Amino acid sequence: MSEIDFSDPKTIAFLTEVLTAAGVDGLEISSASGKLRIVVSGGENHVSQAARASSKPAVINAPMAGIFQLRDSASADLPHSVAAADVLGFLRVGHVLVPLKAGHSGVLSRRLIEPGTLVGFGDALFEIEAQS
Amino acid sequence: MIEILETGPFNTVQDLGRPGYRDIGVSASGAMDSLAVRIGNSLVGNDEGAAALEIQTFPFRLRFTERTGFAIAGTDGNPVLDGIELPAWCAFTAEAGQILELRQPPKLARAYVCVAGGVDVPSVMGSRSTSLRGGFGGYAGRPLVKGDQIIAGAASTNIPLPASGLAVVEPSIVLQDVFPSSPDGTLLIRALPAGEHGLFADDGKAFWDQTWRISSRSDRTGYRLSGDAIVPTETVEMRSHGVVPGVIQVPPGGEPIVQMSDANTAGGYPKIAGVIECDLWRLGQARIGSRVQFVRSSHAEARAVEKAVERYIADLRQTIPMVKRALKAMA
Repeated sequence: MSEIDFSDPKTIAFLTEVLTAAGVDGLEISSASGKLRIVVSGGENHVSQAARASSKPAVINAPMAGIFQLRDSASADLPHSVAAADVLGFLRVGHVLVPLKAGHSGVLSRRLIEPGTLVGFGDALFEIEAQS
Repeated sequence: MIEILETGPFNTVQDLGRPGYRDIGVSASGAMDSLAVRIGNSLVGNDEGAAALEIQTFPFRLRFTERTGFAIAGTDGNPVLDGIELPAWCAFTAEAGQILELRQPPKLARAYVCVAGGVDVPSVMGSRSTSLRGGFGGYAGRPLVKGDQIIAGAASTNIPLPASGLAVVEPSIVLQDVFPSSPDGTLLIRALPAGEHGLFADDGKAFWDQTWRISSRSDRTGYRLSGDAIVPTETVEMRSHGVVPGVIQVPPGGEPIVQMSDANTAGGYPKIAGVIECDLWRLGQARIGSRVQFVRSSHAEARAVEKAVERYIADLRQTIPMVKRALKAMA
C-alpha cells in the first residue's frame, strides 16, 4: 500500500470535506515528513500546514475547553503586529486563565471567536499572517 | 538557582509568618500580602505557605540559572521576562539564563516572586520569613542584595506548568463583592472596635469618619497615619500588653499606627480598633501617600469575608492542577 501524501492539496481538501460533513472541528496528523493540522470552523476551512512555510495564515487553536477572553481592551483592535511570545488572550476555566500565546510573529489579522464564548479543544481563535 | 542582579532596599524572603512566639518577643513577620503568596504558590504547585520573595522597592531583576517554574502575584504591574511583558498574576517556566524584571507597580505596593519548590532558606521557629529586627530567618536574616544566590527547593512531583503558562483571575476582581470600594479611590479597610475604643468621644467618630493618609514613616512594622489628631477623653496609664498585626494604636500625638506584619509584640498605647484579618493584605498593598478610611465591621462580617476568601483559594487549588492535567493530556 502506498503512503498517503498529506501535502497533496487534493488530500487536504478531501479530508476537510469529510471532517466538515462529520461535524468534526479538527484533525492533526503527524508523520515523518511533517505535521498536518486541519481546523474546521463555522463552515470555513482554515488549513495550515506546519511542515513547510506556507503563505496561509497560522491559526491559534484552543488548547482545551474554556471561555475565550482577550488579554485587554487594547488587543481588541485588529490588525496589529505580534511577537511569538506575546499573550493574545486567555481561556478561562473557573478562576484559572490559560494564556494563549501567539507562537508566531506576524500580523494578527483575524479573531475567529467572539470574546466571552465557550470554546472547545481545537477551536480556531486567531489568525496570524506572516509578515512579508 | 536564582541570582539577584538588581534590587532596592528591604526586599526580603517571606512566607506566611512565624506566629506563636510573641510571648518570647518574636514578631510574626510574613508577607504583607499573604493572599498573593498563597495564590502564587498555588500556581507553581507549592504548598500555600512556601517561602517567596517580597519585592517592595523597584526595579528588581533576577536571573534564573536553570529552568525554573515561577509565578508573580500581588502586583498590578506586568513582569518582564527577557524583555517580554507577561500578564500579572501569572506563572511561567523560565529557561536557564532568562532575566526577570519587576518594575514599580502602577498602583500597588508589593510584588511576590514564587518559585516551584519554594525559596529554600533554613526554617527558623517554623518559618522562612526574614525577621529584619531580629536579624534571623529568610536569606541570612537580612534584605536581599545584588549578587545573592537563591536556591529553589525540590519541586513537587505534581504536574508541571504548561508551556503556555497559567494565570488566575485576581482576588480583587473575583472577590469584588466582599471587598468594599469607594468611588474616589480611597481604600476602605474594615476594622472592629478594640480594647480602648471607649476612651474616644462620640463612639470614635473622629477616627471612623475621616480619611487618613499613609505617612512616609510607614514600613513592614507599622503604618503611621496622618490626619486630624484624635485624643482620648482621659489620659490612661496602661501597662504594655500583647499586640498583633492589624491592631490600631493611638499614640499621644493622636495620629494612629496600624501594626503590620513585623508588628511589635507588645505595646502600651491605647488600641482604638483592629483591622479584620481578611483586609490586612489589602492594606499591605497600599502605598505610602495613599488614602484609607476605616469601616466599622462585625465579627460576623469578618467571618463571611474569610469564608469567601477561603472558597476562592480552595477553588484555585482544585482547578489549577485540573487545568494542568488537561493541558498535559491534550498537548
